[in-house]
Amino acid sequence: MTDERRWLDRLCERATRALARRTSRRSFLTRLGTALAGTAALPLLPMARAATESRPPVPDDAALHGEVGDPKSCSYWRHCAIDGFLCSCCGGSQNACPPGTEMSPLTWIGTCRNPGDGKDYIISYNDCCGQSLCMRCRCTRTEGERPLYLTMKNNDLLWCFGTQSRAVNCSVAVVLGVATRT
Amino acid sequence: MLAPGVAAAQGTSGPALDYAVTCQGCHRADGAGTPGTVPALAGSVGKFLRVPGGREFLVRVPGVAQAPLDDTALAAVLNWMLDRFGRDDVPKGVVPYTAEEVNQLRRRPLTDVAGARRQLVEALERTK
Repeated sequence: MTDERRWLDRLCERATRALARRTSRRSFLTRLGTALAGTAALPLLPMARAATESRPPVPDDAALHGEVGDPKSCSYWRHCAIDGFLCSCCGGSQNACPPGTEMSPLTWIGTCRNPGDGKDYIISYNDCCGQSLCMRCRCTRTEGERPLYLTMKNNDLLWCFGTQSRAVNCSVAVVLGVATRT
Repeated sequence: MLAPGVAAAQGTSGPALDYAVTCQGCHRADGAGTPGTVPALAGSVGKFLRVPGGREFLVRVPGVAQAPLDDTALAAVLNWMLDRFGRDDVPKGVVPYTAEEVNQLRRRPLTDVAGARRQLVEALERTK
């Protein structure tokens, strides 16, 4: 028993002294500090975080495949030809008008390609009418737009026709279906 | 408001797609139009074929004559529209529009659209 303890003591003593010879207390603190700071800084590195971010719920569009992007951004795929204020920033959504406004039955219709699935979708940009300009998330995109003399293909016009009020508040981007060229 | 019919499963193509992108914005998906602003197609467009000049009128109205579609596609949309919104009104024996016919008619757009329409509607009322 005594011999065994001596053997163990000797082993531990040798290992400790070897460690003490090779390292200093300062070097340990340095490495510990580096590790702590490194761990703390890890989330700052660029990484694909979009997949883990929570997006605003899009219940009406559950049937769409590969829905990607931020519906509150001008660069969102559905907004390829939108001209106006996004209703999703104004108390509504990309499908619904804000409370207190009325959706215009007359609308500018075009197609936008969804990068999520590579398909072209028929998009209806209806103006929501009855309140003054929302002034948030102003977007001007012109894919497929034509000059003013082709009125049905121009999105600079206010499309509050057939509504009680001609005052435009914001615009929605409703998906009507998939466009397939035959 | 819910998205009106997200038809993601089956695609829209041909004259139905051309109608959706070129006409539906004003005439609406069901052809109902907007009273006082945009004339209805449903229950109305087929009746124009019952009176002389009506067939020509449907191509010469500005929205059709100036539509950004070639003659073949425009003829297809017109025939699709008559079938979809005017099936009960189109007289028997009417032949479909052809690209050549559309090509000739759209070169002569109407200058007095409201006047031409009024005359046709009056002629229609006399046939009742």
